[in-house]
Amino acid sequence: MNAGLRAQHGVERPGGADAARAGIAGYPGPFAVGRYAAGLRERLRELARVSLIGEATGVRVGAGPNVYFELRDSDGAIPCAMWRTDFERQGLSPDELRDGVEVVAAGGCDFYPGSASASPRFAFRVQELRLAGEGDLLARLARLRRQLAEEGLFEPQKHLRRRALPRRIGVVTADGSAARRDFLAGLDRRGWRGTIVWAYAPVQDRRAAPAIAAAVRDLAAFAEVEAIVVMRGGGSIADLWAFCDETLCRTVALTPVPVISAVGHHVDRTLIDDVAAVCCSTPTHAADAAVEVDCGLARQELVAAARSLDATSREAVLARARVLVAGSRAPREHLDRQRRRLHQLARELRATTARGRAQRLEFQRRIALRVLQRKAGAAGRSAAGERRAIVSRSRMLAGAEGRARERRTAALTAFGAALRAHDPERTLERGYALALDERGEPLVTPAAVRRAGRFALRLAGGAVAAKALDPKEER
Amino acid sequence: MTTEMTAGAGQARTYETAVERLEEIIARLDSNEPGLRETLELCGEGRALIEFAAGELEAVGRGLEELRLDDLIQRLEQEA
Repeated sequence: MNAGLRAQHGVERPGGADAARAGIAGYPGPFAVGRYAAGLRERLRELARVSLIGEATGVRVGAGPNVYFELRDSDGAIPCAMWRTDFERQGLSPDELRDGVEVVAAGGCDFYPGSASASPRFAFRVQELRLAGEGDLLARLARLRRQLAEEGLFEPQKHLRRRALPRRIGVVTADGSAARRDFLAGLDRRGWRGTIVWAYAPVQDRRAAPAIAAAVRDLAAFAEVEAIVVMRGGGSIADLWAFCDETLCRTVALTPVPVISAVGHHVDRTLIDDVAAVCCSTPTHAADAAVEVDCGLARQELVAAARSLDATSREAVLARARVLVAGSRAPREHLDRQRRRLHQLARELRATTARGRAQRLEFQRRIALRVLQRKAGAAGRSAAGERRAIVSRSRMLAGAEGRARERRTAALTAFGAALRAHDPERTLERGYALALDERGEPLVTPAAVRRAGRFALRLAGGAVAAKALDPKEER
Repeated sequence: MTTEMTAGAGQARTYETAVERLEEIIARLDSNEPGLRETLELCGEGRALIEFAAGELEAVGRGLEELRLDDLIQRLEQEA
């Protein structure tokens, strides 16, 4: 405390009047602390007004007239206070000023001297405040982005085939948001009037990321959508932090349906933008990305293509027909020439054939005559030979017949003599008799005659009845 | 997906594939290489593709329908 300050605030007390209140040698004073504190506040307020940058910690945005926080970096910290009216003038929401946010604070040193019942307090009185943007949040974001990139999670969505004309689109956004309105307007400009499945979810607080991830999963699983749009309006990185959530980003990366992100504005780059199939800056842009086809224009193009195809097919037929017509003349003339030539050849052939035929007939007649003569001569020679052979064979046959007759006569004579020699009648003629039983069977033994008793005795010239005698009579 | 249909030899056809094939056909026709038979075949195929693509456009032009995911899930749960 210098002499000027002591004089300004009249804090110097003469010593001696009250020994108990005497000062300490070497140090001015003692001074009344309240007055000293007030003087100190004035001196501090005289210091230059500056802006500081650091990370906000210990943020207290209560119901009181002041907003308190500490501004800190690796080398030190300073307590800060800001009138609530000044804070609200910055346009910052209480959520934006929270622990970890790097801010730039403008103002100067201040000191609350306290009172008999209130504690004094030093603070850097902040009059202007803005978010610095970077800081710990962005560092964490950079680390997470690097990690997901190294895991290859930026790629799967990029490889999904996106429908240029989806019939059903799923949208995750806040209910009643301006983004919703802009998105619908964009689709309307495309002429697209298909089906939208709205999945409303909080998009800012700590409930946001899990709710958005669940909505994306459910849209892909249950709603049969062909594209999913996740969108939100602009804000600080703190506002958009839900869209940098690791779980949400992993969910989006592995979703089998293309996800189109439209979070924040041009300058904002959240992590979902990296993992999504397409990153858009606005909901309108997202509508264009979700429906790539301008339906009205596409209809016109289809009509033009149909006309073109009709014209092409008609022209193709006509062109070929013209070629055929042109080409058909030449063949006809060629055909006529060939026909005339053919007729000429035919006439020549007929003339040639008539001469040739007469010559050939004469030649054939001579040949045939010669052949017939040869055949007649041969036939005559052959007939005479045959005739001679027949005469000779007739003679041979007659001779053979006579000889055979003689042989058969001689044989018959011999047979007759033999038969007569064996004839029993000839034996009977010589005086023999033949004994026969009643049946005419010969009785050739004396025993047979005795058994028969009565028998016939056949003699030459007839038979007589006979009877065998009793053996006693025989004796 | 409901927008897909079966074409020819079982190949899935979509608006995108239809338009892509249509562009190929037009390029082929513009080359003046195809003979008459191929030209007529390409034109026939092109007309069928145009009809299909127009049908797809018609499907997304009948009127905006807005559904809520919560309602869909609730309905599915009830059906289950």
